[in-house]
Amino acid sequence: MNRRDMLMGAATAGAAGVALLAAGSDVAHAQVTPAQTAGGVLDRIIKDKKIRVTAEVTSPPFGILDRNNQPDGSEIETSRQLAKDLGVELELVQVTAPQRIPALLAGRADVAISSLSITFDRAKTVMFAPPHGALSIVIAGAKKNSIKSAADLAGKKIGLTRATLEEATVPGIAPQGTNLVYFDDIAATLQAMVSGQVDAAGMSAFAAKSVADRNPRAEIENKFTVRTAYYGAAVRPGDFDLLQFLRTWVFLNKQNGVLARIYQKYTEIPLVDLPVL
Amino acid sequence: MKYVFQFGIVWDHLPRLVEGAWLTLRLSVGAFVLGLMLAALLAFARTSGPRGVRIAVTAYVEFIRNTPFLVQLFVIYFSLPAIGIRFEAVTAALIGMTLNFAGYATEILRAGIESVPRSQIEAGHSLGFSRLSIYRHIIVYPALRAVYPALASQFVLLMLGSSIVAAISVEELTGIINTLQSTTFRAFEFYFVATGFYLTLALVLRLLLDAVYWLAFVRGHPAEKAWAR
Repeated sequence: MNRRDMLMGAATAGAAGVALLAAGSDVAHAQVTPAQTAGGVLDRIIKDKKIRVTAEVTSPPFGILDRNNQPDGSEIETSRQLAKDLGVELELVQVTAPQRIPALLAGRADVAISSLSITFDRAKTVMFAPPHGALSIVIAGAKKNSIKSAADLAGKKIGLTRATLEEATVPGIAPQGTNLVYFDDIAATLQAMVSGQVDAAGMSAFAAKSVADRNPRAEIENKFTVRTAYYGAAVRPGDFDLLQFLRTWVFLNKQNGVLARIYQKYTEIPLVDLPVL
Repeated sequence: MKYVFQFGIVWDHLPRLVEGAWLTLRLSVGAFVLGLMLAALLAFARTSGPRGVRIAVTAYVEFIRNTPFLVQLFVIYFSLPAIGIRFEAVTAALIGMTLNFAGYATEILRAGIESVPRSQIEAGHSLGFSRLSIYRHIIVYPALRAVYPALASQFVLLMLGSSIVAAISVEELTGIINTLQSTTFRAFEFYFVATGFYLTLALVLRLLLDAVYWLAFVRGHPAEKAWAR
């Protein structure tokens, strides 16, 4: 997986959020109520020895297809961990980014674990478990450019990539006098930063880490975090038994370091402190 | 699926679009003028310079005409800083467009120069004209007249091709359009309007170029009369 793919993931996640605003309301009406056995969905999962989880595989490092065309990525690994802790078999339900919530609501999957950022709009349609991962947008730049906070951006040239989460968030925090310049793809933005054509650039923390590691001579460092989006598992409204299990599950795997290990393995950056939902 | 066009948002951003179109026009005209001057020198060197110079110019022309413009831009904007040469995006765009246009225009002008009948040049020689005088008084005018339509087309292509410089963050028409459509999500409307802007620019440029042709070559220029006879 390369840095461009990683960023595409961030961009896709952002775009998907928008698409869902449109799709969410329609789907809510078309919701198929899953067969409610006596004990609810958690009992059914345990009885059938199988949990169905959404798998979105076009958003590195969260979900990708590996060399053998098998789903892989941090969210897939998280799903495997969930099935393992439940002691049941995992069935991955492959979905596209805009289908993540519709597939859940339509009963095709029991739980959505596909880097769903927790937002007001989504919370109106599904119930979120506490977050198990985070996606940060940061300002990164060469060490010699002194930038400590948003106020320091004034008078600086800051590169952004069009149609990404950073394009949606950075202009809001940039003070008057910031020279924002836009590139069409992440590779160009990173190149502009490495070659010194811009003083700093907005990007996901994954991209910043990746570009800094690959260009040690450019001395790229993270200046500050613009915004952190937290993502978590989502279940259908009313499936409180499964939601409660997920709460416990996140709590335990946060304590034993499993979530941090999965996150580090795929994103190559440490997991930030996850707030409690 | 039914799509509702909302052009109101385009009107809100009209000043920025005009600003972008203005930069597009300035870049194109600037690159045309500078490029033509460079091309005149190169074409002269290529047709009558010493062998080494001829080879160098040919190499330049072939390099420009056989590599993508986008890559040429990237080299100027992203790669030159590695050896300490840094240009602002707009300057890099102007340099790239000038060098690129000069490559094509050199070939066009060379064709024009070679279209002048050999006998006329020999007549100049026999009258004792210097090499420069032959160019000045015998070759330039008919050569330019012969290739004017090709140069004019190349100019319009230059203007349309300038949309590529948005890739190095120049806020010309395409750059502005890309930013606006990605922040407003009204891609159809903005691309539609961009098409209209480019079409208008191209048509107006063609009209102006035709007018220049008429003024310079048709309206009974004395040299024209002498040459046409």
